[in-house]
Amino acid sequence: MSQRSLSRLQLHNLHLAQARRTVLEHIEGDFKPGAITALIGANGAGKSTLIQAIMGELRPISGEVVCTVAKERRAWLPQQLALDLTFPMSVEELVMTGSWPSHGALTGYCAGHYRKGREIMARLGISHLAHRPLGELSGGQRQRALIGRTLMQEAELLLLDEPFANVDSETVDILIRILRQMADDGATIIVVLHDMDHLRRLADEVLMLNGGHGRWVAPSALTHQHATAQVVPFSLGGRHVGSA
Amino acid sequence: MWDLLNAWFISPFDYGFMRRAVVGGLALSLAAPPLGVFLVLRGMSLIGDAMAHAILPGVALGFLLAGFSLPIMSIGGVMFGLLVALLAGAVSKMGGQREDAAMASFFIISLAAGVMLISLGGSSVDLTHVLFGSILAINSTALLLIAGISTLIVLTLAVVFRALVVECLDPLFLRGQSHRSGWVHSVFLGLLVLNLTAGFQTLGTLMAVGLMMLPATSARFWSKRLEGLIGIAIVLAMVSSTGGLLLSFHLDIPSGPSIILLAGAGYLFSALFGRYHSLAAKLRRKTTPLAVEQGA
Repeated sequence: MSQRSLSRLQLHNLHLAQARRTVLEHIEGDFKPGAITALIGANGAGKSTLIQAIMGELRPISGEVVCTVAKERRAWLPQQLALDLTFPMSVEELVMTGSWPSHGALTGYCAGHYRKGREIMARLGISHLAHRPLGELSGGQRQRALIGRTLMQEAELLLLDEPFANVDSETVDILIRILRQMADDGATIIVVLHDMDHLRRLADEVLMLNGGHGRWVAPSALTHQHATAQVVPFSLGGRHVGSA
Repeated sequence: MWDLLNAWFISPFDYGFMRRAVVGGLALSLAAPPLGVFLVLRGMSLIGDAMAHAILPGVALGFLLAGFSLPIMSIGGVMFGLLVALLAGAVSKMGGQREDAAMASFFIISLAAGVMLISLGGSSVDLTHVLFGSILAINSTALLLIAGISTLIVLTLAVVFRALVVECLDPLFLRGQSHRSGWVHSVFLGLLVLNLTAGFQTLGTLMAVGLMMLPATSARFWSKRLEGLIGIAIVLAMVSSTGGLLLSFHLDIPSGPSIILLAGAGYLFSALFGRYHSLAAKLRRKTTPLAVEQGA
């Protein structure tokens, strides 16, 4: 129990490569329950590679990823969704697929699951979209529905790759609130971020990837430096650097 | 009037072979369209075609060993179909090629091998039978086999339905949820092979895929919901198979092609006049004022 509460996910001297080219070396990390970690770095710094390794989709060259979270309680929202938007499925049905871990693949849903699904949609402000097909949603609505699925899943480890890209500001506010609630309930959350404003509002810790190495920094140091000197230690990359 | 209806729709079923054919057709119409709907949704519409060719060498081997015995030919077909699916999967896992490329290569080899085997051991009539089917050949054993396979497919689909939906919608999520998510895909391919094997008796190996795909592609023009797609596809398949049999009986034309052509006519009609994405729907959209469109 104490081991579990101390750390959900640890990275030990991780060495990762894509297509035989080293992307990251000597990555150390310790992700605790209830902590939201921002993963930052320029494009190509290895953020997505690290997430792949954490999700077990990429085998490390050396070092190890120690994760105590059961596979079905890990959730990953990649930037490039594998989600098929032409698939005839409603928002409610998408949210309900998150009940898989508690439920198995082969049985139907019960009333309790539907109740929970409706509560989750209400929290996310998408109750009125429950029966809307996925293909007809805006980017923000879709992102909320996907977060709804991870809530249904009762995810203990949540990895989000730029969750606020192409998303309206109302959705950003709701998602930040929901993610904070999830962390307060004990989830471990890792978010790839580009926007300083989002980082300031959300992150407890920051893992900065640069030049193939990782560095842990306090978010206050990063945002303070940014706010006072208007100098970012390195390019945060992406489309929208900083909050301006 | 009554006499005409009777002559067209009732009296053909005085013949035993017509009764068996229509029951076989209805059983297939229950099992094939749901598989077709999932193939369409997964963007794998052509895989059905490939698999239909893939079962041919097995059917031919069964034919060479035991003559025109449906159970033996079906077992051969299932074995060979699964073998080709496995090989195609293995080749694509080796990394060089996508699964559809591997599948395309194997199915054309299978087609040639199957035609070669039948030609070596039988006559061109036998070849026509296997390729294009024959309702006359459905006996009670064949009917039991078709009904049994269809039942198995419907029941299995009911059990794996949700897993299949999740795999279609978001394969990454499924991989995250289960250590052995690959079984969903394998079970699906297995059902596909079983269905095509059951279908080749009435429709022939080349046409069997028609009853699977055409109702499914037509249904896309009528519904946006998965249940709707499956339900409409099943009804379309049932109408086409029964209607096609009657046409073939009255006009003295081959049964397989008339069933598929009727389903094809249904597809063209749907593409022109369906509720969604059809030509008529596009024209309707153009006349809708912008304000209404945004408000909707």
